[in-house]
Amino acid sequence: MKETLLLTKHMRENPEDSHLIDSYEKNGGYETARKTLINGSPENVLEEIKVSNIRGRGGAGFPTGVKWGFLAENEDRYLVINADESEPGTFKDRILLERDPHQLIEGIIITCFAANIENAFIYIRGEYAKPARRVQDAVDQAYQKGYLGKNIFNSEMNLDLVVHLGAGAYICGEETALLNSLEGRRGEPRLKPPYFPAVKGLYMKPTLVNNVETISSVPWIMENTGKEYNKLGVEGSTGTRIFSLSGHVNNPGNYEIEMGSSFGEFVESLGNGIRNNKKVKAYIPGGASAPWFRGDQLDIKMTIDDVANNNSMLGSGAVVMMDEDTNLVNAAKSIVSFFAHESCGQCTPCREGTTWLEMILDRVASGRGRASDIDLLLDVCDNISPGLSWPPKMTTICPLGPSAVSPITSLMNDFREEVESLIPTKVLL
Amino acid sequence: MSESIKINVNGNQIESAPNKLLIEACEDSGIHIPRFCWHKRLDPVGMCRMCLVEIETPRGKMLVPSCTTEVTDEMVVDTESEVVKKAQEGVLEFLLINHPLDCPICDKAGECPLQDQTMAYGPGESRFVEEKRHFEKPISISEIILLDRERCILCARCTRFSDEISGDPLIEFIQRGNKTEVNTFPNEPFKSYFSGNTVQICPVGALTSTSYRFKARPWDLKSVRSTCNGCPVGCSTELNSSQNKMLRILGIDNDSVNQGWLCDKGRYNFEYLNSEFRLKTPLKKLDNEFMETSIKEIYTELSDLISDSNTNINFLIGTNSTNEDYVAFNEFAKNFPSTNQTFYLNDDYLYAGFFEKGINRATIDDLNNSEAIVIWSEDLKENLPVLYLRVRQAVKNGAKLIVFGHSNSTLKDIADFYYSDDIVSENFEIIKDISKLKGIKEHVKDKNVTAIIGKSTPYQLDENLDKLVSYLVENSNSKIMNAFSSGNTFGAINNLDNVKNLRDFTKNVSAENTDLLFVVGSDPIGRSVFSNEIHRIIQDIDNVVCLDLFLHETSELGNYIIPTSSTLGEKEGTFTNIEFRTSRIDKLVPSPGQSLSDWEFISGLSNFCNFNNNIDSLDGLNELAYQDFDDQDSPSFKNLDKPSNFDGIINDYQPNISTELNENLTSKYFVGKKLYGDNITIRYSDSISLLGAKQFIEASESTIEKLNLSSGECTLKQNGHNVSANYVVNNKLADGVIFIPQNRRNFNRFDFSETIEISPNQSKEALNVN
Amino acid sequence: MSWNDSMIKQAKKIIKMYPQKRSAIGPLLHLAQSKDGYISDDSTAVISELVGITEVQVKSVSTFYSMYKQEPTGKYLLSVCKSISCEINNSKEIIDVVKDFTGLNNNETDENDLFTFEAVECIGACGGAPAMQINYETVEGLSSENTIKLCEWLKKEQPDVIIAEEMQDNFGGTKSFDWAIKDQSGTTGSVPGFQTFNTTKEKK
Repeated sequence: MKETLLLTKHMRENPEDSHLIDSYEKNGGYETARKTLINGSPENVLEEIKVSNIRGRGGAGFPTGVKWGFLAENEDRYLVINADESEPGTFKDRILLERDPHQLIEGIIITCFAANIENAFIYIRGEYAKPARRVQDAVDQAYQKGYLGKNIFNSEMNLDLVVHLGAGAYICGEETALLNSLEGRRGEPRLKPPYFPAVKGLYMKPTLVNNVETISSVPWIMENTGKEYNKLGVEGSTGTRIFSLSGHVNNPGNYEIEMGSSFGEFVESLGNGIRNNKKVKAYIPGGASAPWFRGDQLDIKMTIDDVANNNSMLGSGAVVMMDEDTNLVNAAKSIVSFFAHESCGQCTPCREGTTWLEMILDRVASGRGRASDIDLLLDVCDNISPGLSWPPKMTTICPLGPSAVSPITSLMNDFREEVESLIPTKVLL
Repeated sequence: MSESIKINVNGNQIESAPNKLLIEACEDSGIHIPRFCWHKRLDPVGMCRMCLVEIETPRGKMLVPSCTTEVTDEMVVDTESEVVKKAQEGVLEFLLINHPLDCPICDKAGECPLQDQTMAYGPGESRFVEEKRHFEKPISISEIILLDRERCILCARCTRFSDEISGDPLIEFIQRGNKTEVNTFPNEPFKSYFSGNTVQICPVGALTSTSYRFKARPWDLKSVRSTCNGCPVGCSTELNSSQNKMLRILGIDNDSVNQGWLCDKGRYNFEYLNSEFRLKTPLKKLDNEFMETSIKEIYTELSDLISDSNTNINFLIGTNSTNEDYVAFNEFAKNFPSTNQTFYLNDDYLYAGFFEKGINRATIDDLNNSEAIVIWSEDLKENLPVLYLRVRQAVKNGAKLIVFGHSNSTLKDIADFYYSDDIVSENFEIIKDISKLKGIKEHVKDKNVTAIIGKSTPYQLDENLDKLVSYLVENSNSKIMNAFSSGNTFGAINNLDNVKNLRDFTKNVSAENTDLLFVVGSDPIGRSVFSNEIHRIIQDIDNVVCLDLFLHETSELGNYIIPTSSTLGEKEGTFTNIEFRTSRIDKLVPSPGQSLSDWEFISGLSNFCNFNNNIDSLDGLNELAYQDFDDQDSPSFKNLDKPSNFDGIINDYQPNISTELNENLTSKYFVGKKLYGDNITIRYSDSISLLGAKQFIEASESTIEKLNLSSGECTLKQNGHNVSANYVVNNKLADGVIFIPQNRRNFNRFDFSETIEISPNQSKEALNVN
Repeated sequence: MSWNDSMIKQAKKIIKMYPQKRSAIGPLLHLAQSKDGYISDDSTAVISELVGITEVQVKSVSTFYSMYKQEPTGKYLLSVCKSISCEINNSKEIIDVVKDFTGLNNNETDENDLFTFEAVECIGACGGAPAMQINYETVEGLSSENTIKLCEWLKKEQPDVIIAEEMQDNFGGTKSFDWAIKDQSGTTGSVPGFQTFNTTKEKK
């Protein structure tokens, strides 16, 4: 199995200076934006994006063209790039920001042209200081060249782009929380309805919120047409995707591939197998929020729909392999702790429930569990995500709370004996 | 617009207005959905998740919060399904895992939504074996509010109230997730004029009032519905007592008036009722000493005086009486030709007002239906606080706000146009062509306008206001609200035949023309800017009868002191508010000792004088007050006691005010009233007494620099009268304007028409001032 | 106000970047953090004044985000990742090593104000697990030995600028991806090194 390089081509071919505008331009960079702004039309861009069938790369997998189509009319509209990549296991946007920031900026220019937007923001998580510096440098270079600012490419298009740093809150990856954060508020998700960003987004104005990888794909699609993009991958999961592979693999890393091969193939070939020839006990197919698959489910195809049909999600494209020696209770606890720590605290079930789950798991993991704890865990989960089904039903505003349920249901469905073995047998007195 | 849609709830069809929130639509049809965070008067946040219900969608049944879901036609809702019950039980369990089990010592117990809903919907026992979240037990977040963060369930009602309604977001969520707590900033306490509302809407015992803490249990409380007589807004209240002591005042949701809210003065200014300093027996002054006497003896002596046709009588009347009291005085005064039926009302700000025919009167609700609101009056936040809230609400709903003068600086932040500096002079005169002002041209001319008009300061000339009002009346579809700011002023001007103000008192009344002065519930010497003159006048009058709750600077000068019942909680009657809405004042607690209502005293005296007037009963007075109205619209007791009229009845009175023009009145300072002051009732209400005690002046930073002030303190000096005060930076004030509150102790003794020397005071450390 | 003129100038420049003042709170808090190593009440008051909201509203925002510290931090903020990919790659050991070396528990700062230790959630270095950040500059592929060496180096050299490349070359191992670009820019405090906050420097 081989990679298909669209988004990571320039950085692979020009490893040492792919972040500089000269190198980017030498390799054809900004030509697509120039052509689009001068000769193209917003309608045409939207059409190409629709034809490409690209789906959002942030996690939810919503069709990008449809999302753009929802954007309400208004004098003030905004584009916000979601670079708050924080889902455990995910580090694909980091490479795009660090090593090819101009590709993103070019994507932003074309997107803003298509959506008639004059103000864009890149919201980068605070911990990504180095990527943010690279992007800021790139933005400065683009301003100097006149690719940002007033009258871009003499097309009368104006665009201002601000790089905004977050400050440590996973929840800001949720688009409405991100908007609150960008407005200088607590990063609490907004109610949907009524606050759909395409209608009431940043400053209550229509706003597009798109992932870094999604927008970085725009220049390629415009240069090579949506039709060509649509040919890559499989139906429903067109194009390439950058998967972040981590865990117990020999070659972790970011791999850009067409969707459609199996997780097994992916790990064996590009990941070069599991370390020390161990077996896979379980793996996470799409970031910490996703329910796990068992080691005997490696033949599931890496497409949005195949993973969904197996009751999990491809999510942010983060694949975490856990070998046969992994203490899965600790693994689950780590994930539950993560969500408890990152809960914004608005909704009662998430605020109280995730921490309670963490406490119970902690007790179980350290051998202080009670026989009733398994039922308790599941029932607390059920009160956060009724029915424990997939996709999750929620008693909360956003899916963060139910995300904490995923590792527990995975554990209980497939590895229950591992939990039970940690609970001391009740001694009758 | 009365179109309605049908939704199906639990198998039954109910009707609702479109776009209503599901929780409200159900409530209106008698289906109660449990909730904590949702509050009718606050924007929904959908946070507590208690109100989850199931609705049918194309993708099957979905759990949604009914407080954020709008009804749609044909919606099918289940509020009682197993899934719903499980979710509600789950939410309650989550709320309880960190909630302390201190109900036995919690003020809220017995009227606690969390307690009640746990009984109704909650799990039987706790499965939480871990340690609960701990916070320091109640911390004081202001002089009057305590916060117990352990009890808090993070419903955001208090934070939303402060942000959305009162506009002073001083209480907020701190931290996130499981560590979230509500708190204030360390150096910036919850110093809001509306903080008590957060206590009232807190669904648990997290926010409590110092005045009510540990005082009573809800099941021991007696309560009546009444009307606050603190200012002319006339908020609907519920008074609570236990063992004949007033313990608490709550706001009632009167949709047209206060919508459930109260200002903190209205809510907490009641402890004086129980003060040991209340007058309990009639007093008579002999050789400069007060001696206890009997009411009969006073009646005898007074009736002797009154029956002497050479006795000239005058009335100085306060604004704390009921309409029925005023009717009694009016009828009583008809017996003396000498008074010309004139009543001097205890108010520096009263003037003729705009009541002529052809001027439309505004109701409070008109604010919401106006395209623009024009305000030129005293500081609304300080003097008509709940009206200030209603203005904020109207602006939030889209009305343009145009504010004149220096006095409403608290509205500057939300005003679309704030005309001070160049447009309104320091003498409170509009010095530009009104018709050329942008805000007027764009938002007032030919538009629907509500104007709130009143004197910004006692020194403002009436004619200055005339100009603006004439413009509005001629050029827009305007309604005018006269912003008198003192108690039952509207009841007084409706029921007294001829009303003048304190300035008129100083000009017209003297020992030469007055042998007997009745001073009713008034302390002008302690409050009025004409204090010195009034003091001189009263001192010289031979016979002064004071009807009051307390001895104070003015009543001390009386020869006869009659202890009276307080209109707050000790009397029945009616009250008329700023929009001429009359509503019920009710009695809950007995008044101390031999206290009488004003009307009872006057009625008794009438009888002693053998006057033939019909003021022997409260019902009679009430009938007399409203005899000119159709039986249907009359705010008689009979009508007001019908539930549909609890919120009061608006009538069209023609008040009779005959204040004289106040030319030659000038001030070098901007003099106004603050909400809390050195009033006698506040002084004897322990919880809030300190709030009105601090002496301070306000000015912009540059003005303060020009005064060379830097230590935080200064001294005000004039003719040997020295007051030490703090100064507060208020950059919303125009440069050069110095604000001096007249209702802080000793401030009203200055002559504001003359220069007051303001000098730095280096001797003391800077004090914190609110 | 106790921010000096140059900070106020910087703050006003930041405020201008946004259509609405309040949006600047985030960067202004980073600026405050770079000044004091935490968000002091004083800075909160300054920001509240600059942005036109109350102090408690600023505090409400600053306490929501884990990177705005409510207590003073040391010169080096050691943030060891404990999320899933690191967890299953022995991050516990790295955490223990750092705790041992510094003698600190989670969220504590030493007496010399040199180190602050914290175990943090995912820093996006999962391919190079276990990983940590020093003042938000990432080192990946840590071993216990190298972690100790890194701490020792910090203690001994006390560099004023923390540069990811320098640490990675000397103390790191497996990376999430090829870093490729030779970059000698880094951060100057316990705050992300970023142009807007004036907190980044290039090593000559």
